[in-house]
Amino acid sequence: MTIGGPSNTDAVTRRDVLKSGGAALAAAAAGPQWALAQGVPKRGGTLRVSNGGDPPDFDVHQTATYLTQFVTAPCYSTLLRVDPNDYDKLIPDLAEKTDISADGKTVTFQIRSSVNFHNGTPLTADDVIYSLERIRKPPRGIVSPRKGLLGNVDSMEARGPHTVVVHLTQPQPDFLFMVSNAFNAIMSRKVAEPLDAQGQGMKRQIVGTGPFRLTQSIDGQIYELSRFDGYFGPAPYLDKIQFFPIRGEIERGAALQGKRIDAGFFFPNEGVLQTLRKVPGMTELRRPTPTFINLIPNVQRKPFDDIRVREALSLAMDRESFIKTVGPLAGAFFHSQGLMPPGSPYSLSEAEIKQFGGYDTLPGLGGNVAANRQKAMALLEQAGVPKGFKIVILTRGDLPAFRDSAINLSAQFKNIGLDVTVDVRDTGTFYTMETTGNFQLVAHSVGIGGALPDQILGEGYTSFGGRNYGNWKDDSLDALYREQSKEIDPQKRAALIKQFQLAFLKTYYQINLAWVGYGAAHWNTVKGWKALPDLYANMQMDKVWLDA
Amino acid sequence: MTTSVGVPAAADGDRAIVPDSAPVRRGRLHALGRISRRHPLGAFGAFVLLTIVVVAVGAPYIAPFDPIEGDTAALFSPPSSTYWLGTDAFGRDILSRLIYGARVSLMVGLGASLLGVVVGASLGIVAGYRGGWADIITQRVMDAMFAFPMLLLALAMAAVLGPSLQNVIIALAMPIVPRAARIARSSVLVLKATAFIEAARATGCSDLRIMVRHVLPNTFAPLLIIATAYLGLAVVQEAALDYLGAGIQEPEPSWGLMMSGAATSLALVAPWIVIFPGLAIFLMVLASNLLGDAIRDLLDPKLQRDYP
Amino acid sequence: MFSFIVQRLMIGIVTLFGVAVMVFLIMRVIPGDAAVMLTGAGAGAVSEAELAQVRAQLGLDRPLIVQFVDWAGHVARLDLGTSLRTGNAVFDDIARRFPYTLQIVVMATLIAVFLGIPAGVLSARYAGTWIDQSLQALSIGGLAAPSFWVGLILILGLVSFFQWSAPLLWEPFWVSPGKSFAQLIWPALAVGLRQLALIARMTRSIMLEVLGEDYIRTARAKGLSEWHVVIRHGLSNGLLPVVTLIGFEFSALFGGLIITEAVFSVPGLGQYVVASILNRDYPAAQGIVLVLAGIVVLGNLTVDLIYGWLDPRTRLRGAES
Repeated sequence: MTIGGPSNTDAVTRRDVLKSGGAALAAAAAGPQWALAQGVPKRGGTLRVSNGGDPPDFDVHQTATYLTQFVTAPCYSTLLRVDPNDYDKLIPDLAEKTDISADGKTVTFQIRSSVNFHNGTPLTADDVIYSLERIRKPPRGIVSPRKGLLGNVDSMEARGPHTVVVHLTQPQPDFLFMVSNAFNAIMSRKVAEPLDAQGQGMKRQIVGTGPFRLTQSIDGQIYELSRFDGYFGPAPYLDKIQFFPIRGEIERGAALQGKRIDAGFFFPNEGVLQTLRKVPGMTELRRPTPTFINLIPNVQRKPFDDIRVREALSLAMDRESFIKTVGPLAGAFFHSQGLMPPGSPYSLSEAEIKQFGGYDTLPGLGGNVAANRQKAMALLEQAGVPKGFKIVILTRGDLPAFRDSAINLSAQFKNIGLDVTVDVRDTGTFYTMETTGNFQLVAHSVGIGGALPDQILGEGYTSFGGRNYGNWKDDSLDALYREQSKEIDPQKRAALIKQFQLAFLKTYYQINLAWVGYGAAHWNTVKGWKALPDLYANMQMDKVWLDA
Repeated sequence: MTTSVGVPAAADGDRAIVPDSAPVRRGRLHALGRISRRHPLGAFGAFVLLTIVVVAVGAPYIAPFDPIEGDTAALFSPPSSTYWLGTDAFGRDILSRLIYGARVSLMVGLGASLLGVVVGASLGIVAGYRGGWADIITQRVMDAMFAFPMLLLALAMAAVLGPSLQNVIIALAMPIVPRAARIARSSVLVLKATAFIEAARATGCSDLRIMVRHVLPNTFAPLLIIATAYLGLAVVQEAALDYLGAGIQEPEPSWGLMMSGAATSLALVAPWIVIFPGLAIFLMVLASNLLGDAIRDLLDPKLQRDYP
Repeated sequence: MFSFIVQRLMIGIVTLFGVAVMVFLIMRVIPGDAAVMLTGAGAGAVSEAELAQVRAQLGLDRPLIVQFVDWAGHVARLDLGTSLRTGNAVFDDIARRFPYTLQIVVMATLIAVFLGIPAGVLSARYAGTWIDQSLQALSIGGLAAPSFWVGLILILGLVSFFQWSAPLLWEPFWVSPGKSFAQLIWPALAVGLRQLALIARMTRSIMLEVLGEDYIRTARAKGLSEWHVVIRHGLSNGLLPVVTLIGFEFSALFGGLIITEAVFSVPGLGQYVVASILNRDYPAAQGIVLVLAGIVVLGNLTVDLIYGWLDPRTRLRGAES
């Protein structure tokens, strides 16, 4: 089924994708509609932003950090992109037309024919396939932490220089959004392949097709992007974007307040944001992002193999108080009912979430903490866990979202008679202990690169997903996940997603605590940028302009 | 603090620290009253340290609140009549945490400086007394440890050993070892050249006996002095390890932990969170420095030159 | 003198070899390995097979001794290898960060010398008076204040009361001294305070000693002005130990700025070394520790040479050991 053609300027929404077995996207007659609301855009100027640190390298396929993604996002393109004004909408980027076969298993991308890389070479289907394969099946020496985004891809082929055909193992309504994830940047095969062969990859250069190109990079000081005049889309408004890696939050806030920068990102804690809130002419915001803080028991370790013990831990938690204390420290102000992000259409009802131990203490649900804890102690007794039993929560020392969560948990668990220590480790030790299952409990802030069910549930809550730190194995949950993933009918899918959440919560494999919101602030002279509920989305900056 | 060399000239024992007249006059230690009159600052230091010890030991009786359990109704309270020094991000009383935290700081300070000095001095004395290959090898190992940036050595050791009070003490003792060893060794070298040891040897004393009975007491003065100096340094370094996320385990209250992590950014709206723990560290280091000065003056005024 | 220099140099090289062995071993003993950190540090599913493949790629599956010899061989040819994390040559990474740290160290030392020595001289000249006592109190205090706490309080004060913020781009001192100065003065002050206190105290006690010597009495008896005596005869004779102290502190400061750089967000060597250790970036951590140790060794060597030059007895003693 094919919809649209060059004249069709409608974008695809999440709902559309769900509704039809196939969907097509056409090149939007690109115009700055979304910017008009803020006045007539002006051209020129340099946007100065700070994002909290140096990107360790530029290889966005290999990296796990937003620091890299931030600098590279304006330089790369993806097949489709999220509408800067609407998180639920995809608009064409490199692919001017997208067809999905009737059975939903074949997706054909028609690549624009006149796209050039920053080095002047033309983009072909070959580059697209090399890039996506690089993520899916990285060559030797290249590390790809986000294989899961393309996990449902069976094979890819080029049909002619500008057509890419992707075969999926099963239909996947979320696929277009997954493939358009900002981390799935399209690189130049000619540039990347020889570097990959050396094992270095694209760590030290950016050669993309995006609206900006890297023109200067001095570690610890500045990363400067300049407008790419050969950009295939409408020319970006800004002449330059300068990123300043100011690590300290206080210094970053001070730089913003002192007008040394126009915008600052990643203020996890309230200290600085609260001060900026009072500055006239400053817009300050905090948006929930697909990052959740969970307590993850290692089910391979006694007594956490016992579901009663896991339920007792959940019952012991006063979630409202957790949010109140960890909120200002780590931006963990948000909560949702169920596994999906705050405000998700798939969230559970109050009655549904309340049936799980301890979740009635979410803000506004009026749970009785003391009664829950009585129940928790009874469960522990049944499970044969003695009073004063020693438990250790593993956490990393350098991030409040981890460390302060663990501190809060330890205080709460004392109330059900457990003797808790927090094992604060340095980053390197922490990850090794965590990935090798060398822990009892871990407090983890899990940042997912998108808010789709296939991302949140697939990465976060399946046995095979990347975040199964607790090492559970549950075939029925995995099967349920696959079923919802391929369900094309939106109503049926919503029901399946709900069913998955109910089934998962019952296991207490993970105990949900809160959702994190990222903090950002900018002077009101920065126009045309909208914070979407995903800190990786809408960072291409081509529609941003300065009202200086 | 980070300036690694706590007792700078001590760093290079070979030339500076050696007392010219080796045998130490020890009788003075007794006349406490006279001493405190002559060294009011030293007496003040001793008093402060003693107070910290009392507070640490009596913490459960003195602290007004539980140091770990926070009051969620009173997050970030400024100093008030209820919470004299305010509360932190978890609503925990800062005064109570300081009182309990004194335990960690004391144990780390005393433990690390004693351990470092004892191990270093033993190595230094044996190496210096024995001479030969044992000396050469010990010295080169000590040189390497000395050249290794102090905080990094502690950081790396803390990461190797894992976080616990005892491991942090070991980690912080590591950088002290080569410094103590150098001082002990150079004292021994000077002693060896004096008739004093010759005489002991002539009377048929065993090497071990000479080292323990004659050498050790005579290196005691400089070692005691650097022990007090490193006491303060260890406390500061412990705070630095906490700041880097490789120190004491939460939620154990420690002065360093209290001003690390999210606390530093929150200090913009709640400065008391970082001001008071820093003051506590300052006071403790100050006290141990003052006491160290006084001990130095008492034991050997000639040494003054070498320990600023 | 020549043999003395050669001998000291040899000792320096042996010391650095010892440091190399130590840092190499420590990095391998620390739990956690480069492969885990490289494979996204927990951001995705990593199988043991994948980890093994990454380890093989990095040569980490070879016996330790082979790895060490390989690394040491490169180091001997002044090649510190490539950072696993940044993909840059470790040498380049260090070279880029070096100027920041160097400038803070130089500024801190200058602050300490130009305020510390006069303070010490003043203290000694007016020993026992209120001037001496207040200067002494200040220096005792300066010695006890943890520099990262001083830094924190400095930042808080500057930001809250003066809306201060640091210039974003670091200008080399020779291009734009004012800007460069403004950016690094606060961290330099935070660490310099301690050096200042050290130098003031040492200058004071040396001056007290020197001013009691016979030749000073002679000079005074000749009717020379008091300040002339203090400066010309006193200070110039007592300066050597102070210079030694400055020398040691200067070289040790390079490795001692770690926390201060973190507090002030200065992208110097300190941030690099911490990031390298925490991320198990073996070549980077090993390289930077070796460089920092090399600076200390070089500093000691320089001080030794000055001493040997000025005081022949040291040369003899050195030759014995």
